[in-house]
Amino acid sequence: MALALLVLSAGVGAQGRGAQAPPATPRAAAPVDMTGYWVAIISEDWRWRMVTPSRGDYASIPMNLAAQKLADAWDPARDEAAGEQCRAYGAPGLMRGPTRLHITWLDDTTLKVESDYGMQTRLFHFRTPAPTQGAKTWQGVSTAQWVMAGGGRGRGAARFGSMKSVTTQLRPGYLRKNGVPYSAETVFTEYWDVHTEANGDRYLVDTNVVTDPVYLQLPFMTAIHFKKEPDGSKWDPTPCDARF
Amino acid sequence: MNGIPGLRVVTFVCAVLVAGVPAFAQVDLTGSYRTRMYEDYIERGPGEFMGNFTGMPLSDEGRAKALLYTSNQPSTYERQCLPQSAGVFQYRPVGFRIWSELAPDGSVLAWVIGGDNLRNDIRIWMDGRPHPSPNALHLAGGFATGTWQGDTLTARLTHLKTAWIRRGVGIPASDHTTITIHITRREDLLTMTTIQEDPYYLTEPHVVSRVWQWNPRGTSADRPICNTANEIPRLEDTGIFPHYLPGQNPEADYMVRTFNLPKEAAMGYAETLYPEYRKKIRGTYVPPAECAARAPGYCCGWIETQGRPGGAPNLTCNDGGFGTLGPRGRKPAATEQR
Repeated sequence: MALALLVLSAGVGAQGRGAQAPPATPRAAAPVDMTGYWVAIISEDWRWRMVTPSRGDYASIPMNLAAQKLADAWDPARDEAAGEQCRAYGAPGLMRGPTRLHITWLDDTTLKVESDYGMQTRLFHFRTPAPTQGAKTWQGVSTAQWVMAGGGRGRGAARFGSMKSVTTQLRPGYLRKNGVPYSAETVFTEYWDVHTEANGDRYLVDTNVVTDPVYLQLPFMTAIHFKKEPDGSKWDPTPCDARF
Repeated sequence: MNGIPGLRVVTFVCAVLVAGVPAFAQVDLTGSYRTRMYEDYIERGPGEFMGNFTGMPLSDEGRAKALLYTSNQPSTYERQCLPQSAGVFQYRPVGFRIWSELAPDGSVLAWVIGGDNLRNDIRIWMDGRPHPSPNALHLAGGFATGTWQGDTLTARLTHLKTAWIRRGVGIPASDHTTITIHITRREDLLTMTTIQEDPYYLTEPHVVSRVWQWNPRGTSADRPICNTANEIPRLEDTGIFPHYLPGQNPEADYMVRTFNLPKEAAMGYAETLYPEYRKKIRGTYVPPAECAARAPGYCCGWIETQGRPGGAPNLTCNDGGFGTLGPRGRKPAATEQR
């Protein structure tokens, strides 16, 4: 009987919502609402994020010698001529840019994150996405999962949690607009948290780790914060720009 | 009760169900954490340029006071400990330690953050006690209460002493400043987001988010720091306070001269924090000369050791005209005596 009670208790806790059936879709199971318009607050690394730093200005990035050689040869005109003007707008570079995000559900299993900076779209698949046959893109392929607070325990109380995503299949691009490279072998891991303040302000914090065995000596770890906006009135899509 | 088996079962059932109630969320934050200076490296490492207030939402009063600052100020007795305050915490180049203090019943009474970067520990009370009177003692670590929001510990700091915000550039914080801290640990990473408000020196909250990494080798904490010492003997007992008079700070346009930044960006106007500002300066902003040709420029990729400037292994970089930095610090010039 004791064993039965323990099993019963564990089962109730794991459901996270009392006696209700488990939510059918990732959208319904979301422990946090990330949808809406968010604006990046450039309060860190302003000189490297808001404007394009000069060639050779690599402060903060744990790059290796191969990366330095490539970055020293950065030539935005060459990128433009090659149709590669979006190199700094691939996922690892995009998220540190001066952008607004518009987050919506594409469907019940796919979260869509659009940027007005460079007009990029990231798709976060909570279920295994269709094979891409090796195609590499600026935004790559992102898989996502909810991380429930307390490992998913809880009965009847408010739900808390965050999103973890892992992005691969990235087309080689720039971590910084002045040509600091990342390779196609890059794995971009992100943890998305939403914090609500006493005055109602909401902040989205993207803790992220760029792992690149080709151009980084150590994982490049940063946290980027965005503030919730009431609507999309300041949404202003602008195309990729290799120079500014 | 021994004679009432049914009651015993009921008691057991209750105990099991109580055990199943979520402990929101009680992540164990205990441990030492090392800095990962992949953001604001120059300010956290070798030191920021004077007159660089980029990324700040300063009020006119805050800007005016910051421009009175000279690097000699932290050398005075009264101000040597101001950098070891909660407002500068996220900008220091060293790690910290978090530990818990337990109540008699074993519950966590307080989470405590301590380290070289704090003159007073930040003690986050978890027992629901109220904040004291505004006239109560103010400390460098303030008075903090915390609650769990899922797996994130959210703390609110009040009762902070007058100090600085950021490191080594003189941005002031009043003793009415408040800081909200969100602490989230996952695997070996700790994300700390701080939202600082100040009714006098900031026009909107100053938000900083940092990543720290669990350090199994530990980091020093709670050792006596900020033992004041006379660093400028000629000033002792003279009543002289190092400062620039209003309008006379020669570094006020340093970022404009060196990095071609617009003056309003260097001086920390809130409008410069948002994407539309970038569009405003499109066409007028001219990137500076190549980093290697500019002095000082600090073009290094990163620093290898906490607090010690140096290039990454196998890299060398310009340290701003003072020499060349190798992996272990400055490389002496061929003619220089070691």
